[in-house]
Parts: sequence; structure tokens; C-alpha cells
Amino acid sequence: MRISRNVRYLAVAVLVVLAIASGSDAPASAQAKTITLSMLAGYKEDVLRANLPEFEKKTGIKVVVDAAPFGDLYKKQLLSLSTGGRYDVLFMDEPWIPPLSEFLLPLNERMKTLDTADFIPTTVASGAFQGTQYAVPVDPNVQLLVYRKDLFEQKGLKPPTTWDELLADAKALHDPAKQQYGIAITASSDIQTALYMLLAMWSYGAELVDGGKGSLNSAAGKKGGEVFLELLKYTPPNVKSYNFADVNKAIQLGQAAMAIQWASGAKPMEDKQRSSVAGKLGYAQVPKAVRQTPMRGVWTVGIAKNSANQDAAWQFATWLSGREFGQAAVTFPSATSAIHSPRFSVLKDPATKAALPYADALLVSLQITKERPRLREYADIQENLRVTAGKLTAGELTLEAALKEIDAGTNRILGK
Amino acid sequence: MAAGRAGRWFLLPGLVFLFAIDLVPLAYSCWVSFYNWWLIRPRDIRFVGLANYTRFADDPEFTRAVVVTTLFTVGAVLVEFLAGLALALLFAQPFKFLRPIRVLLLLPLFVVPVVGATMWRVIFHPELGVLNYYLAATGLGPLPWLSDPRLALVSITLVDAWRTIPFMFLVMYAGLEVLPAELFEAAAVDGASAWQSFRHITVPLLTYIMLLAVLIRGMDAFREFDIIFVLTGGGPGTATQTIQILNYRAFGLGHMGEANAIGIVTLIIVAVMCYVLMRAVLRPQAAPS
Amino acid sequence: MKPTRLRATLTGVALVPVLVWTLFPIYWITAASFKTELALYARPPQWLFTPILDNYARVLTNIPFFQYLKNSLVIAIGTTLGSLVLGTLAGYGFARFHFRASEAVRFLVLVTRMAPRMVLVVPYYLMMQRLGLLDTYTGLLVAYVSFALPFSIWLLIGFFVEVPLDVEEAAMIDGCSRLGVLIRIVIPIAAPGLVVAAIFAFLVSWNEFLFALILSGVEAKTLPVVIAGLNTDAGPLYGEMSAAAVMVMLPNIVMTLALQRYLVKGLTLGAVKG
Repeated sequence: MRISRNVRYLAVAVLVVLAIASGSDAPASAQAKTITLSMLAGYKEDVLRANLPEFEKKTGIKVVVDAAPFGDLYKKQLLSLSTGGRYDVLFMDEPWIPPLSEFLLPLNERMKTLDTADFIPTTVASGAFQGTQYAVPVDPNVQLLVYRKDLFEQKGLKPPTTWDELLADAKALHDPAKQQYGIAITASSDIQTALYMLLAMWSYGAELVDGGKGSLNSAAGKKGGEVFLELLKYTPPNVKSYNFADVNKAIQLGQAAMAIQWASGAKPMEDKQRSSVAGKLGYAQVPKAVRQTPMRGVWTVGIAKNSANQDAAWQFATWLSGREFGQAAVTFPSATSAIHSPRFSVLKDPATKAALPYADALLVSLQITKERPRLREYADIQENLRVTAGKLTAGELTLEAALKEIDAGTNRILGK
Repeated sequence: MAAGRAGRWFLLPGLVFLFAIDLVPLAYSCWVSFYNWWLIRPRDIRFVGLANYTRFADDPEFTRAVVVTTLFTVGAVLVEFLAGLALALLFAQPFKFLRPIRVLLLLPLFVVPVVGATMWRVIFHPELGVLNYYLAATGLGPLPWLSDPRLALVSITLVDAWRTIPFMFLVMYAGLEVLPAELFEAAAVDGASAWQSFRHITVPLLTYIMLLAVLIRGMDAFREFDIIFVLTGGGPGTATQTIQILNYRAFGLGHMGEANAIGIVTLIIVAVMCYVLMRAVLRPQAAPS
Repeated sequence: MKPTRLRATLTGVALVPVLVWTLFPIYWITAASFKTELALYARPPQWLFTPILDNYARVLTNIPFFQYLKNSLVIAIGTTLGSLVLGTLAGYGFARFHFRASEAVRFLVLVTRMAPRMVLVVPYYLMMQRLGLLDTYTGLLVAYVSFALPFSIWLLIGFFVEVPLDVEEAAMIDGCSRLGVLIRIVIPIAAPGLVVAAIFAFLVSWNEFLFALILSGVEAKTLPVVIAGLNTDAGPLYGEMSAAAVMVMLPNIVMTLALQRYLVKGLTLGAVKG
């Protein structure tokens, strides 16, 4: 019978699949010298994978990479760590250090063996929480001002150093009829909107959290908010749906004369396959008002408290934050891959300056950078900030109401 | 046919598997929803009774999300059902040239959801997208696809329709294929018009399959996440902030009690909607069995 | 509407907008995989261009793509077979045998599909952690079969009840067992339903993201997680993402082409009787 033969094939196929499936169930990390790394997927993973064989050859330690997308990495790390999971080393964004500190190995003693003088001090602070060091900086990120040198020259303008100058320049360079816009930022419910807004408010002296309470609703916060809203007059018309990538696109396709963007977005701007303005861009510090506060966001590497391979993990962490990997990373030949280095020696190296036109701006900005509140509850506070900034830019709330709502949310989260 | 002992052996493997795999986690999640459990504070887990639920009652953000989710679900399922049915009827015609086109029609199903949504974002791009380029060229646009609160909801519905009309089509098309051809031939001999044979043969015989397609799509649309998250992230403002976006946020921040409560509420809403719809559709005729 | 040529023409005309709507984004993804990012956003839009293979090269060299492809394939095929076997049995059970709580149990089957997966993933994760099945094919396969099964069961009920009882009874009088009747008589008639159930079970597993993300790590990671990783915090890598998506689409197309010959009338009653 034809059909019953088919059934037999089906049964065989099921068995084969089950056999393959159970075959792969054996734990891969039986050997002593294997460590598991929780890594950010994509444009930093490739740099790491390309350089990993070097580390493995040198130390004999095998590194197993579990890469997850940015939007899910924190969730996965949190779930894994809080349920006795299996990571030895974790690649973490700095706001995650306070909430994850509970599960991380204190590194104060081990840090003494590190040549900390070579690290930009603010980047080291990004791995610390309440006086304890939990992670080592690997890949520093900071907000920069990106501007079109050619357009500024044409109009005889100088790159702005203050928010007032920024507004004036944006106005001067804004020409919607020619699809030429003054500045690209986001005004959507994307997280970047909240961070741009916070940057402006910081510059005028406001704080998101002060004395354990929400304190954005102040004269300074209001002034910063007004400047932020004023800027929206000189942006592409639909920034209400923009995100990080759209800001990059506006620069790369020559539509925007300026942008405030994270350094991690700068590399594709200088790639001819992705950018029509490669080589025409200048980079500077973000503008100031009463103070200059480029926001910091450093990727760090830490070790799980319950790791059975802490020494091997530390060896890996030192290698990853080391000069050798840093140098290889900044000169990695890919337009989309970006790992910068937290080390003076790397960022000042001529090879780095040749590879990254924004190396100087990065170095200067990192030294004057401002960190977001170091609180366990910060992720919640920032999420509240994101939602409220989205409502503000969508016109659902006035600036006054938004500032009140942000502080109320912050206080609720902090239990005040 | 009367119930026999044999029936047990057909039903048990699947049911035991399904309930063991799904009902245990479901019960667990129900239980967690009565606790205040934040993953970053593993030593501070407290029983809070219904507090995770009662907070929804006076949270305008949640009420808004229920409305947005319902609007999206009803709109999307309606469009998809009508388009899918029309296509199924079109393809049920005995034309040879339809065969190769069938597979083309299914292609959107095969695109990884996040990539499909990302590419639609490129197409929708207000300043640089291909859609607005041609709309502007023809004088109809450009349109603020994702930045206008009302249009954003329409845009995500369109993308959802793009991806899932093939599902509706395929289910109903397969349903049409097994209908006995003799019935239609007899009706044609009796001089029935195309509409009459659709109304009196196709619809009654296809009711169950149509209902199933709507139920499955309805529960998926209500829980849709990828498309909305990639296209608008819930914005502008809170215009496309669905229950799933709120759930994602609570889950992502490690608020297990709250996330599970949102999940259980979603489950209840979906179950009630499905039950009501089933009753309404199946009452006139007996359930097929 | 008698003249079929007119009807064929009308059908063809009606299909044009449908095909444009359906295929344009697919074309745009495919084109993006062979373009630079600058060309993707070019104005006027580029329809014809000199293709480049850089995106494919980068995907294949930067990440162990084929290892993940193998994972995806094994898990998807396993899910398809598992949910077909269990779904056929249970679907036939529901279609032919009644018991007191039949309706309620059937609804409960559907309820298991209504819970948001975001809610199920944590308890499921803890369950698999206890069983030592995290990051294994089995862990994901079991989850996916449970995702696909409710739809398979409900769909197949709809197809099985259409099979005339007298044909089955005749076969049983001829000495065929219940299982024999199911395999030899019922399944061939309901073949289109099985094809649809198979395609959707495959796709459930093939496209699933959240469980794959949380439950897999290194060994059992599937392609959707890898592709989502190309949507970075510095924006999507459009070229690489599209290249990966195109490669991921191919197995689906092959499978559908292979299955679609069962998706036709022909295995109808007459054919079986004759």
C-alpha cells in the first residue's frame, strides 16, 4: 500500500529528527576552560568573533558566544542571572550595572592589576555602583554634534558651541523647499527622543533625579524643554516617527546639516556605500548652556557571581578591555561594526585617527561626559521618561504637564 | 458515530501533550500575577492579591491600550478576512494559469516578521521612502504614514494585512478545495446563479473554516507585537500603544507580577471574544461534529 | 459570465493589483539584499541596478549562518511532523467521537493558544531549566509543537467532518481498523487540510522569535534571533538583514512547492472510490 509506506517514511523521519535533537542535548561546556559570554548581537558581535581566535590561541580558553539583539539583551541577562543561569561573562550597557549588580562579581581587588591610568576615568566609573566596581569598560559611547563642514563653509558659519548658536545655525541652514533641513533629531516615542530632551534640560542645569526625588520640573528643565521643542521647527517634517537610524539616514543622505547623535552611529556616516556625505562631516561636542553635558553610554564587561570560571572570565575581560583588542576593534575594516576603545593610548593613536574622523571629538567628549542617574530603578525611570517625551512631542501633553508627569513617575518608581 | 473506547487513543496523545506543556505554565503565570515580584529584587517577593489587576482599573494608559488593541484587531481581521475570502474564491476557479501564482501569493508568510516590518518602515519612510516618492510625484502625497496618530494605526493594519492575507487565503482556499464538486454541478444544472450557489452552498459548508480563520487571526492580531514594535514602537505618543507593548515593557523591566497580570487579562479578553463569536456563528447551525 | 475566456481575463486583471501589493515589498527586500544602503534610499527609487554580493558575503562570514540554518531546519521539520501526527489523531478523535465534555475540551485546546507568549515564556523557561532542556532542540521543539497543535487540531476537525461517514463504514466492514480508515481513507480526502496544517506548523517554528531568544543560547539558536540581531541599536543593517531574510525564505518556498500538488481537488471522493 502506497500510503502505509508513506506512514513508515514519516515514522522514520520522526525518529531521525528526534535522534538528531537528542544528540545535540549534550552540554557543550564539559571542559574546564570554556566560558560562556552573553553578547550584544550584530555590529559588535562581528568584531568580537573576528578577534576571538587570537584570545583563544593565546590563553587556551574557549569562549562560547550567546548573542542577543539589543532590545532583548538586558531581559535575557536579567532572567538568566536571577534564575541561576549559565553565563560567565556579560557584555552590558552601563545603565544595567546597578540593577544587575546583585548578581555580579565585585572586581575591586582585580582592578588593581589593571593599568587603569590608561582608561578615560569616566568610562571606568560606568562599571561601578555605590563604590564597588562590577564591570570593566570596553566600548565607550557618547553623544556628539555632527555637522556638514561644506554647508557651514558655504554660509560662513562656525559650528555651534551653545544651544542658542545651534538654534540660529539650524534656522540659517533650514531650507525645506530644497529638502535641506537644519538638524536631525527624533521627536517620536523612541528612546532617543527622551535622551535628546534630557540632554537639553541637563545643559540648562536640570536633573532627572536629585536628592532621591524627581526634579526635572524646574525653571532649568522648562528652559531646556523649550529649546528642545524650538529645535523641532528646523527638522525634517516627519521626525515624529524618527528613530536612531532615521537620524543617521538624514545625515547620510545629505538631508540634514546637523545632528546630535551617539558616536556609535558615526562610522556608517563615513562609509561611501552608505553615505553620500562621507568626508564632508565635522564632529564636535554637543552644545552647552550653563554647562556642557554630553550623555555617556559605555558598554562594559562583567563577571557573574555564580560563575565557576571566574579567573578565565577575568582573563577574558582584561583582554576585551585591553589595548590590543581596542586597537584591532577601532581599525576593524567594516563600515557597520563599531567598537571604540576606552583607552587614551588607543584613541590617541595615529592609526585610530586615520580610521575614525571623529576620534578627537570622542576623546574630548568622553572626558567631560555626564552619566545618567546610577540607580537600580533607572531603567524604569528612563522608560517613564520615554513614554512622557513621546506624549509631549505627539502633542498629547504640554511641556508643563509633561515635566510634572515625569517627576510624578520618577517619584512613584522610587517609592517617594 | 457513537463514542467508543477507541476515541480515547486518538485524543489522548495530543491532549495530554498540549495540556502538560501549556496549562502548567499558564497556571504558574496566574499564580505569579498575584505577587509583587521584580526580578532585580529577588529577595523581596510579596503576595499582593489582586493589586496587579486593580491597578488597571484606574490606569488610563491601560484603558487606552485596550481600545487601540481592539480597534487594530477588528480592523485588521475584517480586512484580512474579506480579502482572503475573495482571493480564495478567485483561485478556486478552474484556470490553469492560477496554479503557479498561488505560491507567489503566499510569499509574505515566509518573510521573517521583523524583516518584513523593517522593510515596510523603509517603504513608509516619510522623506526617503519609495511610497511617498510616487505619491508626491502623482500629487497625492506625501503622507505622514507613521507620524500621524490616526494614519499610524492604519499603516500598521496595512502591514499586518500584507503579511496575513495569505494565511486567510490559504485556509479558506483549502476549505473550498474539499467541498464536493457534485453539489455545485447539481446547482448549476438547476440554474442557480453564482451568487446563489455561493450563498447557499459555499457559505454554509465553509462556515466552520471561515470561523476558524477569523478566530485564529483574531487572537493573533490581538497579541500582535513585532510589526507594531518595529514600525511605531507604540507611537506617535500613545496612538499605537497596544496591550502587548505594555506587556513587553513590564516584562522587559522585570516586573513579573504586572507582566503576568497583563497576560492573564489579555487571555481572558481573547477567550471571551472567541467564545462570543463562536456562539454567534455556530448557533444557527449545529457545530460540525 | 458563461464565456470562460472573458472570466479568465477578468480574473487576470483582478490579480494584477493583488500581486503588486503582495510582491512589491518582497521585491524591495530582495533588491535591498543586492544593493548598497545608499542605493536602497536613492531618489528616484532604483528598480534596475547592478547587483552586489557584499551583503551575502558579510552575513555568511560574520556569523555562523549555516549552523543556525541547520538548527532552524531540524526544529521546524520536527515541529511539522510532531504537530501533524498529534493533530491528525486528535482532530480525527474530535471529529468522530463524542464524549460529554467534548465541546469544552475543544475550546480549552484553543485557549492554550490564546495566552500571550510573553507570559508563557518565563514559566516555560523555568520548566526547561529544571529538566535540563535549555538551549536544546527538544526544548524548542516541544514548545513549538504546543504552539502549532491547537490550530492543527481545529483545522483538521473541519476537514475530517467533511469526509462522508458511509465511505468509512464501508471500509470498516471490509475489515479495516480505525487507524487504517484514518490513514487510507480519511487522510487522502482531507489532504489539503493536512498541507495547510503542515505549512503553518513549519512557519510557526521557522519564524518564532521570543521563545527561541529566551530558551536558546548557543547550541539551539534559530535564524529569527540571529536576524533580529542585525536590527542593532544603531539601526538595522538593511543589506545584511535582507540577505539573511532572502536566504531564510528559500526553504519555505521549496517546501510549499513540494507540498502544493496535494493542495488540489482530485483526491476527492470519486478518486478514492474508483
